[in-house]
This record gives sequence, C-alpha cells and structure tokens, in this order.
Amino acid sequence: MTIQKDAERNETKYLHRFADFAGKRVLEIGCGEGRLTWQYAEETQSTLGIDLDADALRVATIDRPSDLETKVNFSRAMSEQLPFSKETFDLAILAWSF
Amino acid sequence: MVHALSEIRRVLVPNGILIDLRPVLSHWPIEVVSARDIHETGHIQDLPLGLADDHAANQSIAQAEKNEWFMRAAEEFFPFNYSWDSPSEMEEWIADEWEGFIQLDEESKRATRSAWALGDADAIVRVKVKMLITNWKKRISGDDE
Repeated sequence: MTIQKDAERNETKYLHRFADFAGKRVLEIGCGEGRLTWQYAEETQSTLGIDLDADALRVATIDRPSDLETKVNFSRAMSEQLPFSKETFDLAILAWSF
Repeated sequence: MVHALSEIRRVLVPNGILIDLRPVLSHWPIEVVSARDIHETGHIQDLPLGLADDHAANQSIAQAEKNEWFMRAAEEFFPFNYSWDSPSEMEEWIADEWEGFIQLDEESKRATRSAWALGDADAIVRVKVKMLITNWKKRISGDDE
C-alpha cells in the first residue's frame, strides 16, 4: 500500500515555528518510529525519544542516521513515570500521544 | 494524563517549553485530488472512542492550566494530509489503523470511488486531518523552590 503523510510538510513548518530547537535538550514523548524526531533532532544538543512500543523503538534506532548517534537516543518509558531527574530537559514534545 | 503532564513539568527546566502536537477529530474532509482539480467527496465519521480521547486530552490540559503548571503561549490548527493512490487503499488504512476512532460511511465511500474512477489519471485520495499545535511555557510556583 502506498501512503504519503504530510507531503506539504506542514507539521515540520509548524513545529519549527512553535519551538526553537537550537542547542536544546529535548524529550519527545510518544516518538514511535521516530518520524517526527528526524524533523528537528539535528538542531538539538540532545534528543531522547520515549515510547511504550518496543518494536517502534527498534525501528527508530535502526533508522537513526549515523551522524546523529551521539545526540539522539530512544528508550522505553511511560510518560506517567519519567525516569529522569527534575529539570533535565529544555523542551518536551507530546507527539500525537495524548 | 494529568499525571503525565505533572511529570513533564517536573523534568522541564524553569521556563521550559512543552509542545503539544495532536490530531483533533472534526469530520475530516475526504478529497480526490489531481493536478487540475480538488473534489471533496465526503467527511470522516468521528466515533465515540476517538471523541472521548480528544475530550480526555482537553480536560487534562485544562486541569494543568488551572493548576498553573503551564501557560499557553501560542496555539494554532493546521492541516496534515494523508494521501493514497486509490480509494481502496484509503479504506483499508482507515479500517486497520484508525479502527474504533473514525470510520467511513457508505455514501462517502461511494462518492470517493466514483470521483476517483472518473477523475484524471493522476488522481489520488486524500484525508485532511486537523492538527492542533500548542506551545506551553512552564510556570514557576512556590513548589519549585
């Protein structure tokens, strides 16, 4: 099946209009396979994508470009119990995950 | 979901930003699109489970705002288009991926199939999803001291 999502790239345009990613430590909640992550991660200081779907996280990790290996990571975690210290991130994204 | 927002607030620095990006059900339009023409053929039917999800999300964010955890800095809607080569592909996708949240009524299916079959050779089928993006700024309270 051929499906195309957001050919106009509106999501990327609005995401960048609403947030400045440059040099930020970013937490993406509900990252899935990383479709959204790749639209901004290069600009960040670091990006951590979390999701409950282990298969999706595997795909995200496999798809991770080699030049982003040091700054982009994925982890299985629940948004209701984030395994991070307080004030760890500059920016959080709730991505299609409410 | 309110607890998740509390957790997000905890891990954000003072003045940190939360971007809430999500689809909002609103009888998304279905279109047959070619280089020459855009023809609206129907609308998606919103189902109770999908509407309940939207309601729960809105309630949670309203509670977080009431608790003075976050301040709404900016908000906008924008279209996010899903496109398929044919109506049958669209029908299959919606049945598989969005089961329980939305559905296609028979009239919209019939009109879409007909418009696509009679349309230009480059015609595709499109659902225009309504997206909401909100920039929330973390508010500082006495609890953070």
